[in-house]
Amino acid sequence: MSEARVRKILLAVGTAFMIVFCLTPFMWMIAVSVSKYPDFLGSQSFVVTFRNYLDIITIGSLHFLDHLRNSLIVSATVALACALIAASAAYAVSRLRFRGRMPISLGVLALSTFPQISLVGYLYKLMRSLGLINTYPALILPYIAWTVPLGFWILLSYISRIPHDLDDAAIADGASRGLVFRKIVLPIAAPGLFSAILLIFIAAFNEFLFALMLTTDHSARTIPVGIALFQGLHGEIPWGYIMAASTLASLPLVTLAMVFQRYVIQDITRGALKG
Amino acid sequence: MPARGYNGRTAYIFIAPMLIVVCAFVLLPVGGTVWLSFLREVTYLPAKFVGLGNFSRLIRDENFWQSLKFTAAFTGVCVPLEVVLGLCFALILNERIPMRNLIRATILVPWAVPTIVSARTWELIYNYSYGLANYVTQAVGLSDQPINWLGSPASAFVALVVADVWKTTPFVAIILLAGLQTIPEGIYEHAKVDGAGLTQRFLKITLPLLKPALAVVLIFRSIDTVRILDLIYVLTNGGPGGSTTSLSLLGYKYFNEGDFGYGSAIAVVVFLLAFVLSISYLRATGFGKVFK
Amino acid sequence: MQRKALILIALAIFTVCSRTSQKVTFMIGGAPAELDYWEALASKFSDSTGIDIAILRQPTDTDQRRQGLVVPLRAGEKDPDAFLMDIVWIGQFAASGWLEPLDSYVDNEGFDLSPFFERVIDLADRYDGHLIALPVYVDAGLLYYRSDLLAEYGYNEAPVTWNELAKIAMEVQAKQRKINPQFWGFVWQGAQYEGLICNFLEYAVSNGGGIVARGESLIINSPANIEALTFMRDLLAKYRISPPNTYTEMKEEQVRSFFESGNALFERNWPYAWGLHQSPDSKVRGKVGISLLPKFEGGHHAATLGGWHIAISRNSDAKRQAWEFLKYVVSRRVQTDFAVDLGWNPARRDVYDSPKVRERAPHLVKLREVFESATARPTLPYYSLLSKMLQQKVNAALSGMMEPEKALDEAQAEAREIAARYKR
Repeated sequence: MSEARVRKILLAVGTAFMIVFCLTPFMWMIAVSVSKYPDFLGSQSFVVTFRNYLDIITIGSLHFLDHLRNSLIVSATVALACALIAASAAYAVSRLRFRGRMPISLGVLALSTFPQISLVGYLYKLMRSLGLINTYPALILPYIAWTVPLGFWILLSYISRIPHDLDDAAIADGASRGLVFRKIVLPIAAPGLFSAILLIFIAAFNEFLFALMLTTDHSARTIPVGIALFQGLHGEIPWGYIMAASTLASLPLVTLAMVFQRYVIQDITRGALKG
Repeated sequence: MPARGYNGRTAYIFIAPMLIVVCAFVLLPVGGTVWLSFLREVTYLPAKFVGLGNFSRLIRDENFWQSLKFTAAFTGVCVPLEVVLGLCFALILNERIPMRNLIRATILVPWAVPTIVSARTWELIYNYSYGLANYVTQAVGLSDQPINWLGSPASAFVALVVADVWKTTPFVAIILLAGLQTIPEGIYEHAKVDGAGLTQRFLKITLPLLKPALAVVLIFRSIDTVRILDLIYVLTNGGPGGSTTSLSLLGYKYFNEGDFGYGSAIAVVVFLLAFVLSISYLRATGFGKVFK
Repeated sequence: MQRKALILIALAIFTVCSRTSQKVTFMIGGAPAELDYWEALASKFSDSTGIDIAILRQPTDTDQRRQGLVVPLRAGEKDPDAFLMDIVWIGQFAASGWLEPLDSYVDNEGFDLSPFFERVIDLADRYDGHLIALPVYVDAGLLYYRSDLLAEYGYNEAPVTWNELAKIAMEVQAKQRKINPQFWGFVWQGAQYEGLICNFLEYAVSNGGGIVARGESLIINSPANIEALTFMRDLLAKYRISPPNTYTEMKEEQVRSFFESGNALFERNWPYAWGLHQSPDSKVRGKVGISLLPKFEGGHHAATLGGWHIAISRNSDAKRQAWEFLKYVVSRRVQTDFAVDLGWNPARRDVYDSPKVRERAPHLVKLREVFESATARPTLPYYSLLSKMLQQKVNAALSGMMEPEKALDEAQAEAREIAARYKR
């Protein structure tokens, strides 16, 4: 068999497996979200209803739309700020020699390995004394700090692969480091930058513990906590609501991912990378 | 000004924002946690400095060793699976397949669903009487009796692995995909002309050039797996019989019951474990060269 | 003289103003509808007293609720001023000095405690001789049974002993299986969580066992307990009347919906299941009876006490106002509303006599008897640690990973260590 053929078969099988693997549980989620009874594979029958979707949007006490809005604002701010902060740090570490380069990089990484539960008490006190409890900054600031190592390391791995010749030449022409960073490195690093933004956005979107402890109601609470609030007094789990809410909540993320794909894959930049 | 000479001031300006946020919101609480790990800090007892007392207690604590074993096994199984699968996904997505953009977005779905929800989804899938898993195994004829997925230590372990791999493979794929973008097409063409086959090209070109991205993926996946909490909290809460208690879950319990000293000591162990793993990945992938 | 009077007046006005503007923050968890109910309650209270209540919303998950309280209380924050506690947290919270003793408030106003279940107050709301909380609603384990099926197979009454229950369940299960292959005799809470201890305690105490005897002496591996746990395991392994997922998935909700879909003869659950079993969607509507949980021969009936209690934070800056709110929440009128609107079991005996309650929630009358004799979990400050450890051992025994005797021997040894380490 020719190489092209093997490749084609592998690709087809791989793609099929990938889609089934990733989507089956999600399809099941959607099935539960439009089913009147979550146990339709057991004793109940499958009755299609859109009640769950209607309910979560219209029942005021669930505050679904408030939580969604909060999540979007918080995550977008975090993703953008964090990506910029991380990119500038990654640029410095990959291009400039300075004392503490390695300790700082490793230190930032090491700090991110602490379990969140051990940090939450301190953050609560801090936010309380700053009067920020139940506001967006109470979530945005810790989220940036908590996701910046991920962004930093993704971008470090990416930027360190961009050849130095380009920026060296610009600097020789008298451009400042800031200008080189903005005009040359950032555009070339776009694929890395966008995958970092995407992953950070999702991380912030999904964070639970900080959001639970640092907010007290729907004026700043985010989706995961909002969904956790659906649960009833004795642990009744309104599966339909939960699944409908998560399906709706994942829409912005999927859209974002689709939009960003264009930037993640940039054939033009390939020539600029060292081999 | 030499382009690659010592360049402290400029560098610190670039790096300052990151250092400030990390110090204020991570370094200080981490310092507090480390300090607590040397105390007997129980909400209703007077605080007392006990030196390494909490750690020597850990060494004698059977539950700690059980959790450590579980966490090590879980990390050892999940991370390689996720990386291999994620690499396959990234390679496929890097090809010109039909509806590439749509497919790229859809494989992100598992990562995009909040953990608290995906854990619940798996709880429903593994449900004994009306879960999807039993429905499928029975429909395909793999088993004529429903299986109690979370019922034995071994099957609960597998169930957790599947749920974790499903959830995090897209994360791996996205980072590796960005890494693949840094490999110029031209190199492959050269190799093709030189008569290198598919496997050879993968081993000789793709893998070496992907090392930095692989290092990042290995590090962050290992960190997250070593401190895994939510998924286990929802699916097994450490059962059956405590066999799936991760270190983080153990620590979480102590934080929750009011023993902050012992909980902090466990947090410190989680940190050490994750850190040692991270360093060894950096070594193994030669990523340290960045700092040369 | 005049100046002094003026200053006094100014001071009086100032205190009045600052008092009325003083907000009481109240932390409460629950389902969205319940939280809305509390909001409405709070605004009714504000309208009549002029004291504002700010509700801090928490999820239902008890671990999360507890964290939401422990973090600010430990930090010595002024907020929340008042909050609800699960009965099992009270030991820790009280021992940590986070709860304002209520004795002086009660004494000064001659507040009458006699309408409340004495047993509940004594077992849960007193610590070191001080009253530190008031019960808002109470729970206790009950046996639910399918009255239609029992009648069909010739039984007039619910079983009184555990062995009778096993015998009846085996017979009915075998016969029902022919019609419904998914049918099981008895469902109860066996997953590794706090509910497992509630179940375990009911078997143990109804056999003369328990967790602690007189004060703090541990009796976890007593023969009575070993026999009780062996029986629990036998429900799964020997009699096979409880489904295999009992020890992995069965929490109160899973048990409730299992029974409600018509697939079980007996169910151990909290009183809340009653209302849901009678809902229009339920397949067992009108076919359910409730009874005391069975006992072992020679033992006495036992039901684990659960429920939520309201307290004031030691650090509160609005204790007076919070006390007013406490009194309001446990007042007869509000407790009656809880029973009628939310189906909660009131902590006041006098509510059970109200005709409105008798009409809307007839099962409550039977419950009163249960509450008068309920069994409490130990109020040790380290109870939760003890419980987490015990959950693991009991669960291991149920799963067959460990023999009951070995599990309880290990539990006893570990409990001793926990007690030695954490006792005050």
